[in-house]
Amino acid sequence: MLKLLGLKQPVVLIVLTDIIAFILLYYYKKPADHYILLTGLLVISLIITTYFIIVKRRLGDEYLFLIVSMLVSMGFAMIYRLDKYMGSRQVVWFAAGIILFFLSYTFFLKIKILEKLMLYYIVVSVLLFGATLVLGQSIKGSTNWIFIGGYSFQPSEVIKIIFVFTLACFFKRSDQVIFGSIRLGFEKLGRLYRLAFMSVSFMFMGFLVLQREWGTTLLLFLIYISLLYVLDNNTVFFLINTAAAAAGGVAGALFVNHIKVRIDIWLNPWADIAGKGYQVTQSLFAMGSGGFFGTGIGMGRPDLIPEAGTDFIFAAICEEMGIFGGAAVVLLYFILTYRGIKIALSVKDVFIKTVALGLTCMFGFQTFIIIGGVIKLIPLTGITLPFISYGGSSLTTSFIALGILQAISQISSEGERSEEIAGE
Amino acid sequence: MCYNEVSVMSFIYDLNLNYGGAGVFEVLSSIFKYILMTVIYLFIYAVIRLIYLDIRSVNAQGKGAGKNTPYLKLINRRENLNFKVEETYGLEGNIVIGRSDKNDIFIKDPYISGTHARFTQREDQFFLEDLGSTNGTLINGEQIGSRPVSLKDGDKIHIGQLDFLFVKKSK
Repeated sequence: MLKLLGLKQPVVLIVLTDIIAFILLYYYKKPADHYILLTGLLVISLIITTYFIIVKRRLGDEYLFLIVSMLVSMGFAMIYRLDKYMGSRQVVWFAAGIILFFLSYTFFLKIKILEKLMLYYIVVSVLLFGATLVLGQSIKGSTNWIFIGGYSFQPSEVIKIIFVFTLACFFKRSDQVIFGSIRLGFEKLGRLYRLAFMSVSFMFMGFLVLQREWGTTLLLFLIYISLLYVLDNNTVFFLINTAAAAAGGVAGALFVNHIKVRIDIWLNPWADIAGKGYQVTQSLFAMGSGGFFGTGIGMGRPDLIPEAGTDFIFAAICEEMGIFGGAAVVLLYFILTYRGIKIALSVKDVFIKTVALGLTCMFGFQTFIIIGGVIKLIPLTGITLPFISYGGSSLTTSFIALGILQAISQISSEGERSEEIAGE
Repeated sequence: MCYNEVSVMSFIYDLNLNYGGAGVFEVLSSIFKYILMTVIYLFIYAVIRLIYLDIRSVNAQGKGAGKNTPYLKLINRRENLNFKVEETYGLEGNIVIGRSDKNDIFIKDPYISGTHARFTQREDQFFLEDLGSTNGTLINGEQIGSRPVSLKDGDKIHIGQLDFLFVKKSK
C-alpha cells in the first residue's frame, strides 16, 4: 500500500506535509481565504520543480534540498498560523531563496578565483559593518538592521558566509589578489601570517560585539575554533585562541551589563518572571503545555510567546506539534549536518573543504545556539533558526549557503568520476 | 498521488456535513496532528534509509578500488537511464547482483530480477552464474544458465537493460 502511493519517496512525503499543513491553515484562518490554498500550491510546485531539476540535471547531493524543504515546510505551517501576512511574506522569501540557491550554485562553480579574493572579503565586510554602525537602527538592544526604502536587511547574516570564505583563504594559503597584477603572497608573511589570521578573525567578532550581537559573535567564534581544530595542527596556536576567547568571555560576563542580565536570566528566569525572564518562561510554559503530540496546529497559544515567529519558533513548534515535532526538527538538522560533513570529507582542495565544513558548522552551531537558548540549556542569545525562522535576510542567506554546499557536493561527485577515468 | 488528494478532500467534505462547519477545524487539527507527525517521521526514515543505501553502494564500490581487482564497467550512457547506476562496480570475492536492496550490487532496473546473478572468485579466476532470473544473463550475446561460466578480460555482460564490460588487468 505504501509502495503503491510512492510513499517511500521522500519528496512525496514533503508534498503530503504541505498539503496537510495548508488545508489546516485554510480552515484555521477566518474568513476563509482561498489564497492560502494557492500559496500552498505555489510552495509545493516550487519544491517539486527544484527537486527534479537537482535530480535530472545531476546537481550533486539530492538530500540537502529535501531535508531543507521539510524544515521550511514546518516553518511555513507555524509562521502562517501565527500571522497570515508574515506567512505570505515568508513564501515570497522562499521563492527568492530558491533563485539565490541556483545563482550561488552557478557562481561558485563558475568563478575560479574565489580563493584569491580574501582582501576583498575583508573590505566588503568592514564596509557592511561600518554601514550597520552608522546607518543601522537599534531593534531590541542590537544595532544590526539597515533600512533602505522600507526594506530592512541584516548585514550580519551575509557576513557569516563572507567570514567562512575569509577563513578558507587563510587555510588555503593561496596568493591573494590586491589590485590588478599586484599580489600578496602568504609565504612572504612568514610568522606574521598567524598573527594576521588571528587578528582578522577577532576583528569580525569585535565588530559584532560593537553591534551587541552576541549570538552571531558566539557563532563566528565556534566556526573559527572548530575549523582551527580540524584543519590546523598547531596546538599552541589553538590554545592561544581559546585563551583569548575565554578571557574575552569572562570579561564580558563580569563587566558588560547586557551579558550579565542574560546569564542571570538563564540561571533563574523565575526571579523576574514578568520582566526580564518573561521570554524564557513563556517559552518553557509553551513547550510544557504541548505534551507528546502537541495541541495541534491552531489549537495552542504560541502567540503568547514573544518573538514566536523568529527566535522562539522552536518553542511554538514544540507547543503545537509536540515534543515529537521538536525532536523531528532536531533530527532533520542532524541529518543536514551529517550530509555537510560528508561532503566536506569527500573534497580534496583545502579551500573548498574549509568552505563546506564552515557552512555546515554554521548551520549546526546556529541551531544549537538558538534551540539551546529557547530550552534554557545555555544563556539565550537572539539568533534565527536557519530555514525555519521568519525573516528574509535569514532565509535567503541560508539558501545562498545551501547553494554553495550543493555546488561543492557536485564538485566532489565530479572528482570521483574523473579519478575513475584517470585510474583506468 | 492524485488518489490521495481526492480522498483527503472528500474526507474534509464529509466532516463539513457531519459537524455543520462549526467545529471542523478543531476536529481536523486534532486528527491531523497525528498524521502530520507520522508523515514527518516517515520522511526522516526514508531519507536516512536512502543515505544508508547510498553509503553501502559506495562501500561496495570502494572495496574493489584496489589497483588490480577486476571491475565491471558500464557501457550504456547513464543519462538515458531513469534509475541510479554507477559507472563502475568493483568485484572482490562473491558478489550477488539484483534489484533488491539485499544484494551486494543493487540496480533498480525493472528488467533485472530480485536476485539476478552471482560472481564467484576462485583464486585468480572469476565465474558468473545466473540465479534463475526472468530475463536471463548474457555473456558476449550468449545466454548462460545456472552453471558458472568463467570470465576473461573484455567480456561483455548483458543484464536487464544494461551492458557491462568485465575488466581484469593481467599483472
